[in-house]
Amino acid sequence: MNTGVRTSRLHTEAQAVAMLDHGMTIAIGEPTPMALVRQVIRQQLRDLTVIASGLSLDLLIAGGCVRKTISYYAGGGFGVPVAPCFRRAAERGEIEVWECEEGILTSGLEAAGKGLPFLPWRGGVGTSLPEINPDLKLIRDPINGETLLAVPAIKPDVALLHASVADVYGNVQHQGGPGWIDLFLQRAATHCIVQVEKIVPNEAIRAAPWATTIGRADAVVRLPWGAHPWYSRGWYVQDSAFLADYLAVATAAAERDQPAGLAEFLNRYCHEPATHADYLERVGLKRLLALHEY
Amino acid sequence: MTPCCSTAELLACFLARDLNDGEELQVGIALPIPEAAVRLAQLTHGPNMELIFLGARMNVHHLDHLPMPAFGWDSRVVRWAESFSDRGHRFDQVKDWHRRVFFVGGLQVDPHGNTNLIGVGQDFRRLKFRGPGSVGTPTLTTHVGRYYIVLNTHTPRIFVPRCDFISTVGWGNGGADARTQLGLPGGGPKYCITPLCIMDFTPEEKRLRLVSLHPGVTLAQVQAQTGFELVIPAQVPTTAWPTLEDLHVLRTQVDVAGALRG
Repeated sequence: MNTGVRTSRLHTEAQAVAMLDHGMTIAIGEPTPMALVRQVIRQQLRDLTVIASGLSLDLLIAGGCVRKTISYYAGGGFGVPVAPCFRRAAERGEIEVWECEEGILTSGLEAAGKGLPFLPWRGGVGTSLPEINPDLKLIRDPINGETLLAVPAIKPDVALLHASVADVYGNVQHQGGPGWIDLFLQRAATHCIVQVEKIVPNEAIRAAPWATTIGRADAVVRLPWGAHPWYSRGWYVQDSAFLADYLAVATAAAERDQPAGLAEFLNRYCHEPATHADYLERVGLKRLLALHEY
Repeated sequence: MTPCCSTAELLACFLARDLNDGEELQVGIALPIPEAAVRLAQLTHGPNMELIFLGARMNVHHLDHLPMPAFGWDSRVVRWAESFSDRGHRFDQVKDWHRRVFFVGGLQVDPHGNTNLIGVGQDFRRLKFRGPGSVGTPTLTTHVGRYYIVLNTHTPRIFVPRCDFISTVGWGNGGADARTQLGLPGGGPKYCITPLCIMDFTPEEKRLRLVSLHPGVTLAQVQAQTGFELVIPAQVPTTAWPTLEDLHVLRTQVDVAGALRG
């Protein structure tokens, strides 16, 4: 006779983010799990090391959560070459920047996933990267004697990801494909929290097991429209006007010492809504429905 | 002579004509001139070119025009793709990148085509201008068959004797074997193009050399706007206007909204 009950890994956003703690290394996937990012800000986590880019990086810095970034790209988009709050904090020395690039980052994540102290990489040889990031060591390879970079294992405590669907047991299917970095982050991280558009029955997962991209997420959170203002492949497109609005208030705060607009943005969209559903109410149904793909 | 097109259009057409059928053309974000150039090249002479935008690999030669969301990050680019190379293996086949062509911008460029996206300033911990970071450009420029340096402005602040930081290695400290010495398999930068001129690299020293001046631009103007001595050949022609055919395709099938015309 079968005994016991399989444990559900379905959590609310507050329960999921309660697994995080100050000072942890948090990796943000792409498409961006913005609802979890907003929950991190709402729970006022501090001194985080973050692997992130774009709006999620900038918003976490604006929210006062970040001590250090593992940084490969911090563009603002929409004609803003550098994410404003990142730029200000970096120029003032308020955050530490562990400078890298995409091939170096994925090598460090692969080293972590494979349980290795480092992996070699060629991209970056001859650049300033090993000078400004002394953790990257120039080495002579023992096979052919070539000069390569040794990239130390990068081990996030938690990866926060966004996907299409999951069952309550943590079987995740990205459908439109995982973003470029999600699976690197999941393999490297100690724990993995995935927000999804929809929870599906376990039968639906078993009907297409080859579509499962992550087989053992530690927590899944049902957060429809949870990537807003970014996109979710097959579900909705990015809300460009919203992103531009953020960049406008962030630029005013970072470059013109006019912090009121950014503070209001953070209050309105991160601190005041008690739940993701409250956030969606603030954004408004008409605005969300206008973002349906194609 | 009345200009027949904008400088951005001139550059897009120049780049397009330097791309060959069968090549893989990868364009990152915030580079509208290369983005237009590869789409133009595909339509005019590239039935076997493959375009890679944000990891989405496509061949859109058969389309009359490309109503693609252009000039920025938009996930819908995948709609035209035949494969999506971003599925956790973006850098797992760099051995084949010798047939790939790439494009980089920069905050600074030095006489050997080394470029900087990291930041401007002497102290990395207190930069005067914090740049966006290297994205994937160090890895791409290490391996691709050739690449182009594409700049939206041409000033002494950009063309500096020495970059404060180097994010992509062009020709290192100079010399035709500079990249071999560093163990970088890719072919390095071919041209550096700006709103004023087109430049390449001398074969021996690999120093930036003027190739042509855009219509209306003087040699003195380029020298005044470059913070080091450019190699100036005996003959410096004017950059040729695009053909009417190329310009027609660019305006009616690629840049329909006129983003490059302004």
